[in-house]
Amino acid sequence: MDRPSSKEKDLLKEIWPRVRRRHLYPELPHPVWEENLERVALEIKEKRISLSRGFVEEMSQVMDEEEVVGGLLDHAVSHYLYCPWDFSTHLKLYSEAKRVLKDKQMAMRATDYFMDVVADTQCVSQKESPLPRLYAHVKRGIMDEAIHALYQRIWGVNLGVEGYEEVARKLSRLPYLDRRRWPETIRRFSKVVQSLLEMEERFGGLNRPSPMGSHGLQNYSSQEIEQGLKDLAAASESPAEFKEIVEDFEEDLLEAASPNERGMGLGPGRSLEADILYYMKLAENYNLPIRKTPMHKSGSLYPHHHVPWEVGRPFQDIDPWTSFGKIMPGITQIWERREGEVFGEDEGTPDCIVMIDSSGSMINPRQQLSYAVLGAACACDAYLRNDARVAVYNFSDANAGGAQILPFNRHRFEIYRAICHYFGGGTKLHLEDIEQLQTGRNPDIFLITDMQITNLEALISYFNEHANRVTAVHIGDNEHVQTFRRSMKLRKNISIYGVEKKEDIPKIVLGKIQEYFARPSG
Amino acid sequence: MLRETAVEIYNYIHENLYLNRPDLEIQGKRFNSALLLGLLTGLREGKELIIGEPGLGKTTSAEYIGAFLYRVPLGTIWGSEVAGHPEQTEEKIIGRPDLGRLNQGEEVVVWSHFALLPIKIVDEINRLPETKQSMILDGVDRGNWEYLNDCIINTEYCLFATANYQDRGTNTIIAPLIDRFDVMVESKHPGANLAYMIGSRGSDGACLRHPELEQEFLRTLNERSPVTERMKRLEDLCGRFGEVVERQIGVKTFSQDNRREIRTQMDALPLDLDANAFLRMVISELSFCHRYGQKRSHEHCEEGCHFTGYLCHGVQNCISNRFPISTVNFSKALAWFLGDSQVGIEHLKAVLPFTLAHRLQWKEEVVAQREKEARHDPLPIYLAKTAVRDMHRRYMEQGPLVKNALAVACRITEGEELEPVEGDHPIYWEIRRDLGKELQEA
Amino acid sequence: MRNPFQEFRSLPYERKELPLNRIVKGKEAVMAQILEGYLRLVEEEVKDLVWLVEHSRVVKAYTAAVKSIRDLHYDPDDIDEFCAELDSSNRIPYMISGPAGIYISALVNLSTEDRITLRLKDFQRTFHFLGYRLPEGKTLILQGDVGDFVGAGLSGGRLIVEGSTGNWCGAGMMKGEILVTEHAGQNTGEWMRGGEIHVDGRIRSIGKTLFGGRIYQRERLLAPQDLSGEI
Repeated sequence: MDRPSSKEKDLLKEIWPRVRRRHLYPELPHPVWEENLERVALEIKEKRISLSRGFVEEMSQVMDEEEVVGGLLDHAVSHYLYCPWDFSTHLKLYSEAKRVLKDKQMAMRATDYFMDVVADTQCVSQKESPLPRLYAHVKRGIMDEAIHALYQRIWGVNLGVEGYEEVARKLSRLPYLDRRRWPETIRRFSKVVQSLLEMEERFGGLNRPSPMGSHGLQNYSSQEIEQGLKDLAAASESPAEFKEIVEDFEEDLLEAASPNERGMGLGPGRSLEADILYYMKLAENYNLPIRKTPMHKSGSLYPHHHVPWEVGRPFQDIDPWTSFGKIMPGITQIWERREGEVFGEDEGTPDCIVMIDSSGSMINPRQQLSYAVLGAACACDAYLRNDARVAVYNFSDANAGGAQILPFNRHRFEIYRAICHYFGGGTKLHLEDIEQLQTGRNPDIFLITDMQITNLEALISYFNEHANRVTAVHIGDNEHVQTFRRSMKLRKNISIYGVEKKEDIPKIVLGKIQEYFARPSG
Repeated sequence: MLRETAVEIYNYIHENLYLNRPDLEIQGKRFNSALLLGLLTGLREGKELIIGEPGLGKTTSAEYIGAFLYRVPLGTIWGSEVAGHPEQTEEKIIGRPDLGRLNQGEEVVVWSHFALLPIKIVDEINRLPETKQSMILDGVDRGNWEYLNDCIINTEYCLFATANYQDRGTNTIIAPLIDRFDVMVESKHPGANLAYMIGSRGSDGACLRHPELEQEFLRTLNERSPVTERMKRLEDLCGRFGEVVERQIGVKTFSQDNRREIRTQMDALPLDLDANAFLRMVISELSFCHRYGQKRSHEHCEEGCHFTGYLCHGVQNCISNRFPISTVNFSKALAWFLGDSQVGIEHLKAVLPFTLAHRLQWKEEVVAQREKEARHDPLPIYLAKTAVRDMHRRYMEQGPLVKNALAVACRITEGEELEPVEGDHPIYWEIRRDLGKELQEA
Repeated sequence: MRNPFQEFRSLPYERKELPLNRIVKGKEAVMAQILEGYLRLVEEEVKDLVWLVEHSRVVKAYTAAVKSIRDLHYDPDDIDEFCAELDSSNRIPYMISGPAGIYISALVNLSTEDRITLRLKDFQRTFHFLGYRLPEGKTLILQGDVGDFVGAGLSGGRLIVEGSTGNWCGAGMMKGEILVTEHAGQNTGEWMRGGEIHVDGRIRSIGKTLFGGRIYQRERLLAPQDLSGEI
């Protein structure tokens, strides 16, 4: 591969600062020349812009080389600055396009084109950019022609496109520069371009990348991807909705997963467990801060600072050194004593046993959003973040094998897998299973259930006999709940919360954990 | 000429004395933030808080900078440093009565070297009790020191305060005091390879020592003569020391007149319109509250507030007016240092995280979300950098509209019949408030 | 008092505007007027949020709709967008299918375009009364399934449904042509006085009272013949 010539390097060195200044100094690394970009003018990988030498050379025959490079850089920078802005927005746009087009490939292409239109229009509206002149000369496919016809209408320029009047007219009505309306706008955009995309598909053009490159996950850092997944989880109404979008990006996600995420089950060679990922990301929206080492008074007084002595104040605290041996107002100083505050012993966070009911009366977390699972997930995260361990007891009808025990560990993905498991059978637990999870240092217990447990009495006896801090969160009200409440009334280490709105479960769980962390277990 | 000297001083310290990795890039050039901002603090008469693990050159960097910029030998600087421990007294920090004259019934103050010298270094300031921290910061704020009805006025001064991270036996620096610092930086570990170099060759501060001159400095500082006369003689001594340094290592240093001229040049640099608008945008995000008029530490955000996407939702406190003063001063200093004719967004972006890091009190949930993220900076500086990056992105998107809004506001103030520009960002609301055209909600 | 915006005095405050801004602004103004007309219609006609299908109410609603939109300047894309707004209910607090369909029909009938296509398969909701009183010289193509009373009162226009219709298709039509590529519901052609209805698929039942006109199924004449019941 030929290295870029010094002329090419100088060209970039000269133009890039101008482009940066024009766009108010985006935090992007210096662009580079790339030899092997096939059929595209540029590529963006992890924020690094690569320009195709072949493309620039070809275009230089019909226009000024500096303008070619300037236009390409304007396009790339606009994408970074304006659209899609972040991975979360990219996913939202894609999901709206897919809702209309119902096909992954077409939805991806529609999203790419939409983002191009938005980014380019924003650039042209705000800056003096050579982008229109570049587009006037670039080679076009069917969709490109339509898009450039659109540009002719909305930018008021002549790009040499004829035809596509109807499509351009319909597309020109859309408010591309209003970010708040992008979801609705891309839906309408997709509707209009659907027939063109189908035509491209028929002629095999759908797989051909757009001249200005495509917008895959390689444009985002792993942190942006994590944040995007988190936002998508919060915006999705159900795990199924999340899964539908995420699975379309499965290969790219697995490839792009950071080492941290690989530990959680993502990474090359593994399949994406989108349901579990959904709860993992959703729970991240409910983070509790890490418990700080508490301070407490030391109990003893020590000399803290000097204050001027006044006639009438005691003599025993006079500091003869700072008073220079004199007893006179204005010169003499006494020590003011204070009780010291020192850092207490860091008691550490106790471990936690999460007991989650996945019987038939509870929601299947893979089909609908289960706040019970989400609450359990929040509890797990809170303890794991404070370097504690978590064990999971997922129960349905334990007699019939409907129970899953995960011993104490810190492996987040495995914990989530255990929590998300759904048996859907009866409701009976084995107390021996819980007993085997008990350690010397009484772990905290979080129980999330609808209390319709067959052997509830046994569970009540068990809690009565043990000193663990127990938080029981029950959904709905019934006679079993009343029984449980009555039996646990006098126990100070047991808190019971009934939940009217399931949405309150994470808040209840986190509120209790915060209390626990403020006062270590006795 | 003066600028080249400043750059030369930076390069010399960076290559020979304070070995550390560059961690800040501006205009394609890479700098070490602690050293660069320290240098700008010294030139700008600022106050810098340097944090870091023990033994990573926090105090040393300040000493080197002081020695070069103010032409004071290292030995003299060492003798003037205030050590942070709870038994520090006013007498050790500011001055004490002349005991001989006191016995004769005269109140004459012997001023400490710390009070007299323009370079003021406080080691481990967070180990001082609050009263002493406040005393030092008050003194440095105004430049005058009082003791026993006498006072001296420093004509120029800068403060470097170091602090370790939280450990047993340390106090915190409370918010009103920490706000007085212009910048906060971290003196990072230089990495294994540079650390080895430091270990194998040791610190080469010998070029900044001169025992004879140090003795003369000591004698002059300890003289019982009027302070103004002593300061004149000190300036002469500084000149001599500067000549010695130049002779020995070929690096020029600054006289008092030079430093004054530098500050004049810095002050003369204007902010371009983008930097101007961006800074206003930043201030608005950190002070605005739609519900309560302004941010207040004890007031909490409403659920579902429209402005949750902005920094006003993530911070608890309201930014002080010292913040724009620090930011503008240091941005101008940086622009001058880089040889630019005006202050632009790049300069602001570089300086903002360091002027913000110690001034922002983040909400717990924000800290919880971000404290476990991978980073290269301590959490306060990391959060500040992230915040600046986010605000900058918003400005890149909306900049022309914001400038337009300010231009329209100017005309409205001058009496033209125009409507203020509407927009989502707090800056548009703040403009309306300034124009007395705040939108009334139904 | 000092002007805190002084430094921005020299900045020109009139911003560069693309044709896009003008197009979008203009379109939004038209849409706002169309929406306002619809909401006014609904408020007047549907006092209790219940709207019963009675001939007089239909006529009254149509007359009110025509009055609202007579002076508006809109194009077929605006009608399409209005349908999308009705479907998404972002800006419309209540969508009542009957008046909505009548309003759309008024928009179509008063449009300057002779040929209008509405892509109904993109929408979740079902619209009734589409093609109501479609006049001569106009062609309305409905892509997707439609609701009841499609083409009711057809007045010489050509209505093509690329999908299935609900019940009462062509009810009371005077003249013109309705083509349905899939199926039709019950009471097809009830009270029709003239014109033709062509259905390529099944017809659940023909209207009991036909005063004129013809109904074809797969090119075979079904009515006028005294036939009712599923074919």
